[in-house]
Amino acid sequence: MTTMTDPALSPRSSGPAPLAAATGVGLRRWLASSLTQHDHFSAYFEPLIQLFLPHWSTAGWRARVLEVRTELEDVYSLVLRPAKGWAGFQAGQYVEISAEQDGRRVSRIFSISSSPAYFARTGLIELTIRVQDQGRITPWLRQHFAGGGLVTLSAAQGDFIASEGSAPLLLIAGGSGITPFRSLLQQLQRQGSARPVQLLYFARHAQHFLFREEFDRLLLDMPQFSLILLNNEDHGFISAEHIREYCPDFSARDIMICGPTPMIQAARAVLSELAVDPAQIRFEYFGAAPIDMQRANASDTLVAFKRSAINADVAAEPAQTLLDVAEQAGLKPVSGCRIGVCHQCICKKESGVVFNTKTGTYSDTGSEDIQLCISVAASDLILDL
Amino acid sequence: MTTSIPSAETLLSFEQEINAIRDETLSKVGQADADYIRRVIRFQRGLDLSSRLVIVLGFIHPLFWVAGVLMLALAKILDNMEIGHNVMHGQYDWMNDPHINSRNFEWDIVGDGDSWKRYHNHEHHTYTNIIGKDRDYGYGLLRLSDDIPWRKKNLWQFFTYLNLSLLFQWGVAYHELAAERIFFGKRRKESHLPISRSELKSAFFSKIGKQVFKDYIFWPLLCFPVFWSVLLGNLCANLIRNLWTSTIIFCGHFTEDAQTFSEEECKNETRGQWYYRQILGSSNLEGARWFHILTGHLSCQIEHHLFPDIPARHYPAMAQKVEQVCKTHGIPYNTGSFAHQYLTVVKRVLRYSFPDKAGQEPLTNH
Repeated sequence: MTTMTDPALSPRSSGPAPLAAATGVGLRRWLASSLTQHDHFSAYFEPLIQLFLPHWSTAGWRARVLEVRTELEDVYSLVLRPAKGWAGFQAGQYVEISAEQDGRRVSRIFSISSSPAYFARTGLIELTIRVQDQGRITPWLRQHFAGGGLVTLSAAQGDFIASEGSAPLLLIAGGSGITPFRSLLQQLQRQGSARPVQLLYFARHAQHFLFREEFDRLLLDMPQFSLILLNNEDHGFISAEHIREYCPDFSARDIMICGPTPMIQAARAVLSELAVDPAQIRFEYFGAAPIDMQRANASDTLVAFKRSAINADVAAEPAQTLLDVAEQAGLKPVSGCRIGVCHQCICKKESGVVFNTKTGTYSDTGSEDIQLCISVAASDLILDL
Repeated sequence: MTTSIPSAETLLSFEQEINAIRDETLSKVGQADADYIRRVIRFQRGLDLSSRLVIVLGFIHPLFWVAGVLMLALAKILDNMEIGHNVMHGQYDWMNDPHINSRNFEWDIVGDGDSWKRYHNHEHHTYTNIIGKDRDYGYGLLRLSDDIPWRKKNLWQFFTYLNLSLLFQWGVAYHELAAERIFFGKRRKESHLPISRSELKSAFFSKIGKQVFKDYIFWPLLCFPVFWSVLLGNLCANLIRNLWTSTIIFCGHFTEDAQTFSEEECKNETRGQWYYRQILGSSNLEGARWFHILTGHLSCQIEHHLFPDIPARHYPAMAQKVEQVCKTHGIPYNTGSFAHQYLTVVKRVLRYSFPDKAGQEPLTNH
């Protein structure tokens, strides 16, 4: 890990692949599918490689869970050591972690809450996770990996990254939306940056603020950093007053917002009311962005067909299968028996809950394959169709 | 040959009891199933690779060649039956694994997986043994029921059957493509197929190209000094696999007592009637655990047709319960030893080689 360069300094973009390389890839794929019936040789060898490296996967990198650290009663941090080859990240990016729960691969997306500098020094990253009420995965991860274990980690993704240069920053966090900002603040401290940072941190109650002691230390260490804690009980929801009062020079700052969906929407509305240039604002939702569409009735669900860029409003009654919904929206997904037998209409659900009419069960909220002909939307959905 | 359907009450209680067996098994599906299929895949991959090496060792002693061919045939049988067939039925889709799922899996056989899923999973499993709808019934080559008019070519259909068995993978590839329709058929104005004829054709030839390249060009060339011995070995392994899969599949639907249905009978059928038809149109083979695994658990064809997407390793245990439920509802349950069931297949192929004689009792008991 010592050879790790600071990813913040190494741009990862590359130009379009030259034609020769593209043909090489095509040939290799053809060879792999001819000889192994898999698109990549690694997929064919995966079960054999797993004999020596348990949990090795073509879908990502192995990462060892070293510690599950309690932050608050319902918030914990996973301390992970990604395997060699994992390319690092920039402050503000997120990863998908997958683990096997009773034979089933489950995955969730979390922002990395530690800094790239910390990763460069120790080879470790941290994910800070709130236990979701009635969640299937977040409570399980905490309990299952208490004694360590292996998970699969995706490459770091996302563009919720502080602007280049040294323009002053205004960070607005809601609840566990603080995690990418912790990464950013640690990084600025490590780099000895003199960039002015104002953090407005909203939480439901005074006891719900994360990383209090760490931030106190940062305040001592970084004179250009200031922090305002605003709990909803005493201060109410985010308002223009808060911004004007606690960050009067907001219009001169680059603004970053992270938190639950309603909080982000409220913050953006407030900033627009304050006539802030939208180009100054960056924001990131937890999980999927809300579907941009008005519902006809409050009980309707919204289904976004991502590839076709079509949204559909689905009435709760009468219950409709997603195959019908897709076809009514003018799509022509591959389908066959329409009774859940032939598995041709399988489609990737990126987020949301579906009800399976054949087994009578509800799905997980994360990404997984579903059969359109026997699935009914039980929440807003994003489908890869 | 058609049958009279039991009363609505009988079918309803039958449906509920079959559903109960399904729910009970579904609640048990989990880690053990994931571990099992991974273990089988791991074993299959090891066997596939090592068999290639052992075939080459045939230049030391011919017995190596024989052993290598048998190993490769076994690897292909496991890949096609216990792994490919079951994975492509979606039995392991719940694992959410990027490779072990019905959308991405491709098998070591000339038939393209997507075309197979389109026809087999849809037509055969939905319209099992409905004459005119289930194109897998006799594969358009054999007359296996008096619902199909006799033609002169049926006289030598036993030899057609033997040929089909030996070349089964080619027959299936051609058949599942509905090649008669694609290559020679009339073009329908409004095709219900989600992909075009040219895409179908290109999938068909592309898969054939890949398979021929692997078994008859790449591996023989790689072991150049023993080119012919490797090529012959691969050919033999493919033939053994063909013979085995075709024999098991014929035992599943074309035994003496397996029944057929008309389209009329199956209109607006309830789940219970659907279950009932699946049971009457299928037959089971009894045997040891290794035998079930080698057949991809198609030895439990009845359970496979009732529960096509439940991990097949549960079928033998479910079979005992299904047989019991059939008994209490007076529904025939066709099971027997491999030898016995196969003998009745041969009888059936021979029996329908000849035109019906007036007044002759049909073979099937009602």
